[in-house]
Order: sequence, then structure tokens, then C-alpha cells
Amino acid sequence: MIEVKGLSKRYGDLVAVQNVSFRVQRGDVVGFLGPNGAGKTTTMRMLTGFIPPSAGSVCIAGHDMEQEPIAARRSIGYLPETPPVYPEMRVVDYVNYVAAIKDVARSERAEKVDHALEACGLLAERRRVIGTLSKGFRQRVGLAQAVVHEPPVLILDEPTAGLDPVQIVEIRNLIQELAQQEGRTVILSTHILSEVELICQRVLLISLGEIRIDGALEEVKGTASLEDVFLREAGRRGSEGAAST
Amino acid sequence: MRHVLVIAGRELNSIFSTPVAYVMFAVYFVFSGFTFFLSLTGFLAALQQIQAFQRFDLLDQFNLNSSVIEPSFGVFSFVFLFLVPLLTMRTFAEERANGTIELLLTSPLSVWEIVLGKYLAILAVLGMLVGVTALYPAMLFYFGDPELLQTLAGLIALFLYAAAFAALGCLISALTRSQMSAALVTFFAGLILFLIDYFAEVGLQGTAQEVVRYFGLRAHFEQLVSGVVRSDDLVYFVVFGVFFISTARAVTESLRWR
Repeated sequence: MIEVKGLSKRYGDLVAVQNVSFRVQRGDVVGFLGPNGAGKTTTMRMLTGFIPPSAGSVCIAGHDMEQEPIAARRSIGYLPETPPVYPEMRVVDYVNYVAAIKDVARSERAEKVDHALEACGLLAERRRVIGTLSKGFRQRVGLAQAVVHEPPVLILDEPTAGLDPVQIVEIRNLIQELAQQEGRTVILSTHILSEVELICQRVLLISLGEIRIDGALEEVKGTASLEDVFLREAGRRGSEGAAST
Repeated sequence: MRHVLVIAGRELNSIFSTPVAYVMFAVYFVFSGFTFFLSLTGFLAALQQIQAFQRFDLLDQFNLNSSVIEPSFGVFSFVFLFLVPLLTMRTFAEERANGTIELLLTSPLSVWEIVLGKYLAILAVLGMLVGVTALYPAMLFYFGDPELLQTLAGLIALFLYAAAFAALGCLISALTRSQMSAALVTFFAGLILFLIDYFAEVGLQGTAQEVVRYFGLRAHFEQLVSGVVRSDDLVYFVVFGVFFISTARAVTESLRWR
């Protein structure tokens, strides 16, 4: 579903991401780990086609990001670190707008918007102005925006960062539900290791712009806890990250 | 290109969901109405003096177009110098500050669609402003007999001038995250384009003067407002708009590299 080959990003002399390659099968939920500045956001931005890689290729659902950018982007639902919402818009208008720019046919739009709002628990808030919503609800709007066009691939950049414990559990359950629908492929980055153990089958760990670990959760853990693995791989070279996020 | 209307619709929605748009409209109507009233009373006073002194030979120098419509349109163009930056400042700067530019650039859209959609929304608002401006000369048609084509040329001049200036405003907004700096820079750029022919007249001679004068907005605007429709003025406005909108597109595209 996702195929990444030799992906690199350089900013001048600074190497943010170095020769990253991995494949994700349909239906996999992948936890993307790494210390701050390791290149998680940069990698995700290259996956979604927001920034072009310096080298390497990204292929989403059979569409090469460079050759067929429109088709590739259509296959992705993306939630950046801060949900890309317009504070002055109403929830339903915003999700409807996103559906329109993501090429959801006019005849199906109302139904799919309702479906996304329902899936994200926003039906009661549909007429609210986004700027008046709490952070947790805003994150839900961000998720609704990512799934409204029913993409086969979801890319979520720290979807639970900055939320309170109750909201974290809610959003986590939501992601789990969204992932199970239609055998969706999900990549999500997070700092909460227990979250990875709860919802991911696979772990990718990146540090200083390079992939350190790529494997099934059980294999990666072996006998140690995920935290020990993380500290061993990411902690040893310190977290003075190489790159901007 | 079907996304252009979607983008434009959302943009218009946003423009009219902030108080800035309404304040802008209110200020424009009060100011333009007052200006028009003043030039009309000035015109009437002149006619009364002509009557009092029995100098009917002076009457050919006065008509509704050159004494009322033209000068008030000149003042309106000056008001647009303040309004257009307020309208264009948020177009791209706000998307960048909100992070919504990331949504647009990862959606199956071309950058042309984004930029044209936004510009179209701005043109729609300018069309409304010019449309309301048309009410003033329309009243004169009810009470008097101004030249129709010359009046239309004036309205077109006002629209083209504002549209060209707005293209520059969109480009400046694409260059920054800060709406305030976008508005300020756009305002001063407009002021320079407005005053550049005065500078040319004072400080330059010959070909240099001609060239600099050609770049100024005002000379083209005044020509068109006075009813002289020349292709070089029309071409100036269109090229001006196309150039800045394509540059805005290139700048937006380049955001991917930052």
C-alpha cells in the first residue's frame, strides 16, 4: 500500500532524513517512533506530497508521488501536527469543503460528510464554529477531515499530542475504529509508547534521520519493553536531533 | 479547474465571516457617498454662479461626466488604495499561519486552482464594491443626462485598477505569514505605483520619464476614467494582474521547498 525507497531530505548541509526505505501492507497500523527532531514529520510530509524529497521515491496505493501526484494525494488522509482547520468555519461546512477539494462527488458529499462526522463523534457539534471547540474536539475535526474522502491510507502526525488523558483515550479508540474500517492502512507518529503497544502491529523507529528498527511489534519488543528498545536506539545518540520538524 | 469555485466559495465565506469586511464596506459607502455628494454640490454651485453672472459661454466646460463622475472616481480609486490591502492581506498569509496551506498542498489540487480560486473571490468582492459605486452615476441618469459609455468606462477603470492592485496584494500575502506586514507592504507598494508619475514628472525627462510613467497605475486609470478606452491601458492592467498572479502561484508552489 505504501512503498518508500531511498527517501532523503537535505536542507543545505543539514540531512533531515537519510535513505529511508520501508513497505507497509494493506491493513497495517504502523507506529512511527523517534525522538523530537529525528525526522518523523519531515518523512510524513514527504509521504503526503507536501514537500518533495531530495532523493528517493514514494508510492501510495500504486501511484508514484512524483509521476501521479494528484492520484497519490487522493489516496491519502492526512492529519498534520496541528489540525489544518479554519477557526471561523462551522464543523459541517469545513468537512464539506475538504470533501469537495478531495474530489468527493457532489452527490455523495452530504452522505460521506455525515458518515465522517458520525465516525468522529461530531454529530452534536456539526453546527459549532471550529474556533470555539476544545482541543480534543478540534483534533476530532482534524480526523474527520482526514477520513471524509475514505482514503485507503491514513497518515497521522502525533494525533494525541497535547490532549488530556480522557481525550487521548477517546482519540486512540477513534483511530482504532477508523483503522479497522475497510482495512485501512495507517501510519501514526507518537511519543506515547503504550499507545503503540495498544493499537499498532508494526513499529518503525527513526533516529537522526535514519530508520533504526522496522518490524512487527512482538519481534521488536523481544524480551525488553518498548521503552527500553526506544531508549537503546534513540537515546544513545542523544536527542539533539539533526533536523527541524 | 472545477476546484476553483470551491476555493473561491470558501474564501468569500471567510471574508464575510469577519467584521473587517463589513467595516470596509461601511467605510467605503460613507466615504464615497460623501465625496459624491460634495462634487455634486460643487457642480450645482458652479451652475448657479454661471446663472447669476449670465456667463452662459462657460457652460461648455461643465458637464456631469467631467465635473462630477470623473473627479469622484479619482477619489474612489484613492480609497481602494486602503481597502485592497485589507482584502488581500489574509489570502495566503492566513493559510500559512493557520497551517491550512498544508491541507491545500496535500489535496488533489493544482496550485493554479488554489491561487485562481482565491483571486476570484477577491474579484467578486471588488465587483460588489464597484457595483454599489455604480449607483451614484445611476442616480445622475435619473435626474440628468450624462454620457453612458464614458460612465461605463469609468466603472471598468475602477474595477481593472482595483483588480490589478489586488493581484499584487495576493503576491505580497503569499510572501509572508503575517497579515499585518502583508497589508502594510501592499499599501506602500500601491502608494508608490500611485505616485510614481509625479516623481517621473519632477525628476525625469525624455524616454526615462515615459517609461516610468507607463509603470504607474494612475496615468492608465485616469485615461480610462476620462472615457478614452485605449488598448495599451487595457493591456497594462491585464498584464499587471497576470504577472502578479502567476508570481503568487510560483511563490505558493515554492512553499513546498521550505
